[in-house]
Amino acid sequence: MKRVALRLLVPVLLLVGWQLLASGSVQAPRPSTVLEAAIAMVRTGDLLSGLATSLGRVFAGFAIAACLAVPLGIAMGSMPTVERNLDPLVETFRPIAALAILPLVILWLGSGSGAAVAIVAYAAFFPILINAIAGVKRIEPSLMRAALTMGLTPLTRMRVVLLPAALPSILVGMRIGLGIAWTAIIAAELAVGAKSGSSGGIGQMMFVFYAYSIDLNGMVVCMIAVGIVAFTLDRALRWALAITVPWSRI
Amino acid sequence: MSTPKIRLDAVSKFFGGSVVAVEKLSLDIRDGEFLAIVGPSGCGKTTVLNMLAGLEPATSGTMMLNGKPIEGPGAERGVMFQDYALFPWRTVRGNVEFGLVYGPAGQGLSPAERTERVERTIEMVGLTGSQEKYPHQLSGGMRQRVALARLMANEPEILLMDEPLAALDAQTRVILQDELLRIWGQDRPAPERRTVVFITHAIDEAVFLADRVAVLSSHPGRLKQIVDINLPRPRGDATRRSGEFARLCQSIWELIREEAYRATMN
Repeated sequence: MKRVALRLLVPVLLLVGWQLLASGSVQAPRPSTVLEAAIAMVRTGDLLSGLATSLGRVFAGFAIAACLAVPLGIAMGSMPTVERNLDPLVETFRPIAALAILPLVILWLGSGSGAAVAIVAYAAFFPILINAIAGVKRIEPSLMRAALTMGLTPLTRMRVVLLPAALPSILVGMRIGLGIAWTAIIAAELAVGAKSGSSGGIGQMMFVFYAYSIDLNGMVVCMIAVGIVAFTLDRALRWALAITVPWSRI
Repeated sequence: MSTPKIRLDAVSKFFGGSVVAVEKLSLDIRDGEFLAIVGPSGCGKTTVLNMLAGLEPATSGTMMLNGKPIEGPGAERGVMFQDYALFPWRTVRGNVEFGLVYGPAGQGLSPAERTERVERTIEMVGLTGSQEKYPHQLSGGMRQRVALARLMANEPEILLMDEPLAALDAQTRVILQDELLRIWGQDRPAPERRTVVFITHAIDEAVFLADRVAVLSSHPGRLKQIVDINLPRPRGDATRRSGEFARLCQSIWELIREEAYRATMN
């Protein structure tokens, strides 16, 4: 009981402070007005369907990124020749922010879901790749040797030693990647898919509130919703990590 | 005398072209014998074991196993590593059954026979009740037993052990030395025993366990002498207290004392 009260202390103080600071101004959103807006947005279903659209894009882009980055990371981590050839390419593209490739993506894929998914995939790709490479490289050499001396074939060694040994690191990369993917989708939707309403996703919704209806309360509702989703995603992944790799303390 | 199980003939190992780890090592290892290799640090003990395991090629010389050259790792040679090399994502049972499930050692075994052998091996090393635990939940001594069980479950012809007791405290070591001899089969007649090559830096351990002790010198690693250990089996605490045991330890110590001092002082 006491612990719950302590945990709630900071959020409650923040809300009270916000209400007090904002009450002097007519335009500034206040907790009370934001709450009203939130209830209205939930009632119409706009908020949830906007979030659903964005989440769908995030999962699609994330899945594409993982399907490409994990095998490539394993190849780069276990085969020095592959790494030597691909590392310069990866390190050249890695610092280029996802938003910087936006113009190209819109040019190639138009301004719909496809472009948003591509941006997400690009953003999530690198953290998954880098962690997969590191995970494979950090495998204790004696584990691979033990498998060798027990007469395992190369494919079996990869499946039952290399993969599980690198798995904790791969999952950490996925957790970071998913966080970045969620950040990228908001930014991507601000620019892509200039459609009104929920079909543009939560990012597009924020853009509409900002540029057309100038509804600050709605914008704040979107911001809070984005934060809550990010928090939930991260907790879910941490939980999944604890379930799938119980031997690893990460 | 019967043909040797393993024959090393003028085996040398250089690292980086110039560093000589092992030089012209010739050694016959008999079927069913417990051979210990001792020597000061830097004598290439681990290198010899890795070459026998097929994990490192020799730079020159020949290594024969059952009359055929050793060209790589093989399931008939089981290795116990100094750091145990347990798979952290597998439980005690998962580790012990590993070679039987994924390697050639389990071929021809029905699932029931496999389970039976795994459980019997776990019981043999005294880990019954801990089958579902992960390596990080175990003490050093227990991990060592898991590694030993994983090795024994595969029933390899030859057991290659690289300082398997080095990381343990003194009491656990003594207990596991006794256990190791029991599991190896010192109560059984010699032809039923497996061939063991056991690397250690502890002279008393080598004398207590082995039929013969190969003493290596360092920089480069050369075979200095082979000492026959004719202490009666089964061995136990009475062996450790005997005068013959002390005399053998002393004579091996004298063989390597000078170099050990030099290595320590440098």
